[in-house]
Amino acid sequence: MDKILLKKAFPQWVKKLQAYRLIAPTKDGNIWIYEAVTTPEDIDLEFLTTALSPKKIIFPQREVYFEFEKGDNDNPEIKETLPEDDPTIVFGVRPCDAKAVTLTDMVFGGDFEDVYYWKRRNQTYLVGLACNTPPNPNCFCLSVDGSPHSKDGLDILLTDLGDKYYVKSFTKNGDKLLNLAKNLFKQPSAANKKELQKIQTESEKKIIRQINNLKKVPPKLKDMWDSPFWDEEAMSCLRCGICTYMCPTCHCFDINDEVHSSAPLKGQRIRTWDTCQFPDFTMHSSGHNPRPDKASRLRQRIMHKFKYFVEKHKNYQCTGCGRCVTKCPVSIDIIEVLEKVRDYGS
Amino acid sequence: MDHNSNSYIPKLAKIIEIKEEVGGARAVKTFRTQFIEDNGFIHKPGQCAMLSVLGKGEAMISISSSPLEKDYLQFSILKMGRVTSALHETQEGDVIGIRGPYGNSFPMEKWKGKNLIFIGGGIGLAPLWSVLSTALGKKQEFGNLALFYGARTSQDVVFKQELEELKNKMTVHLSIDVEEPDWKEYVGFVPLNILDKKPSPKNVITITCGPPIMIKFVIQNLQALGFKDEQIYTTVENKMKCGIGKCGRCNIGLHYVCKDGPVYSWAELKNLPQEY
Ligand SMILES: Cc1cc2nc3c(=O)[nH]c(=O)nc-3n(C[C@H](O)[C@H](O)[C@H](O)COP(=O)(O)OP(=O)(O)OC[C@H]3O[C@@H](n4cnc5c(N)ncnc54)[C@H](O)[C@@H]3O)c2cc1C
Ligand code: SF4
Ligand code: FES
Repeated sequence: MDKILLKKAFPQWVKKLQAYRLIAPTKDGNIWIYEAVTTPEDIDLEFLTTALSPKKIIFPQREVYFEFEKGDNDNPEIKETLPEDDPTIVFGVRPCDAKAVTLTDMVFGGDFEDVYYWKRRNQTYLVGLACNTPPNPNCFCLSVDGSPHSKDGLDILLTDLGDKYYVKSFTKNGDKLLNLAKNLFKQPSAANKKELQKIQTESEKKIIRQINNLKKVPPKLKDMWDSPFWDEEAMSCLRCGICTYMCPTCHCFDINDEVHSSAPLKGQRIRTWDTCQFPDFTMHSSGHNPRPDKASRLRQRIMHKFKYFVEKHKNYQCTGCGRCVTKCPVSIDIIEVLEKVRDYGS
Repeated sequence: MDHNSNSYIPKLAKIIEIKEEVGGARAVKTFRTQFIEDNGFIHKPGQCAMLSVLGKGEAMISISSSPLEKDYLQFSILKMGRVTSALHETQEGDVIGIRGPYGNSFPMEKWKGKNLIFIGGGIGLAPLWSVLSTALGKKQEFGNLALFYGARTSQDVVFKQELEELKNKMTVHLSIDVEEPDWKEYVGFVPLNILDKKPSPKNVITITCGPPIMIKFVIQNLQALGFKDEQIYTTVENKMKCGIGKCGRCNIGLHYVCKDGPVYSWAELKNLPQEY
């Protein structure tokens, strides 16, 4: 469904959307974050790349699996704590971040469906905003099968046409959100459609960072397991893990018990984000570590995203948001690493 | 497998029996458990389960009982860190959590009519025990059965009583790493005991579980004796949390050991990167 929404009517639509929990980019000091908003003015659609992607709404950094306590007969009791019913609209999602959700869907789906993830996912609506100019100088979505106006994962995509938005709905859920305020939306004219085309083409040209021929990388990685390349590239890594914590597609987690009282025993089992860039991620109790150094951990990060995931799920596990490039304190640049892999030995 | 239910919630099980196998610094205890409600699971030999001590966390442990044993699940646990120590402190009658079963299993259907040689080291006898006792229970389906088992010292030998009884049912080659006054059997590492006894590879499947270094040399020596990669099966351990291929922790290349493993033939494993 294609529609036009005048910017001056935008607050009225937002008011209707507030029938749901509404989460949108808001400015917090120098950064933008996705947060619950209470008025249309809280939403800042001029946002640059947010600190974290909306992944945190569907796969929060901390999830309580269940509560436990010692019951009457001294036996433990377990109480499952599923996320509450709380239909949520995430507004202003960048196409790369929306595509990332389709990738975490693949991980948390399949056999052994993750009920926590899907409880949240199935009640989340994703309303996107196309990137007329890249919100991060390190955006490289075009190189990883994405685009600044891609619809993957989105229910609705808005494109800024100056005084109005071009609104495209792709799903029944998207249509539902438009129907909340039917009379605000107009039919697009031929001129609107032409303008959309033009803006989309221009937006692609504004993306500076690209990796040509990324498809050469997965087969190349096959023969690079023992290469000294990984030592060289990982030399400066501080093992801070920011690259993975900021990543919209990384899904690794830890499971731990938090004890609130030991007598009587009371606590929670929780999952928290974790990262393959930490040494103890893979360390056995014996001290043996199959990935003992920075080189093997960088190799894992690159191999997972550009080889294993491609073989398993037919997608790169990277959507080109550029966060890891911008945030790495020692400027390890995944684009450069991939280019070097592509050209390795030739 | 109940795919609709919440995979992360353990089922409560009562510890009905605890047996001390090995004392001291490398303590091993064997636990038998029964599910409190009749909502247990049926496992296959080689599969594992996540054991919970609430408040401490979870540890992945091989199920050492045979699926033919319907009354209980058995686990043999080496005291290592937080969770395994907490398990060692439990008493009979205590309740723990169990979720699973996880992983693939030994392809015993493919082994019908073959001779089986089990090769174990240390606590590695635990995962072997499930497949070994299943083979014993269906003895008519297989040829000759034999076991090589070694431990560092005679103190470290697990399942001592069971091993004595086993000698009436199959060939058992025991070993310890260094000389001890009263030890009558082989002295030396398990891989050397194999070279010493020179089993024939004809119509044989070998199954080996134990410390990585032992597995490495067992495989080398089996190959030297003419065993083919397809005749050698082993299990792999990697650190695990979810057990269901989500937490991203246990992979060897493309494989999640918790789902695609822990059982591999050497023909499969040799093609995977050395990441275990
Ligand atoms: C497939 C498989 C089968 C196993 N079978 C047995 C068995 O039959 N008997 C036995 O004694 N041990 C077995 N282990 C090893 C056992 O899981 C670890 O010794 C145990 O998890 C250590 O936990 P901990 O809390 O005592 O140690 P800590 O060092 O306190 O562990 C901290 C955390 O790391 C995790 N962890 C650490 N090392 C390992 C490891 N090697 N494997 C998995 N998770 C680890 C634990 O789950 C725990 O959450 C097996 C491991 C795997 C992967
Ligand atoms: S952000 Fe950079 S320094 Fe930090 S773990 Fe990643 S690659 Fe290493
Ligand atoms: S233990 Fe989580 S993926 Fe294997």
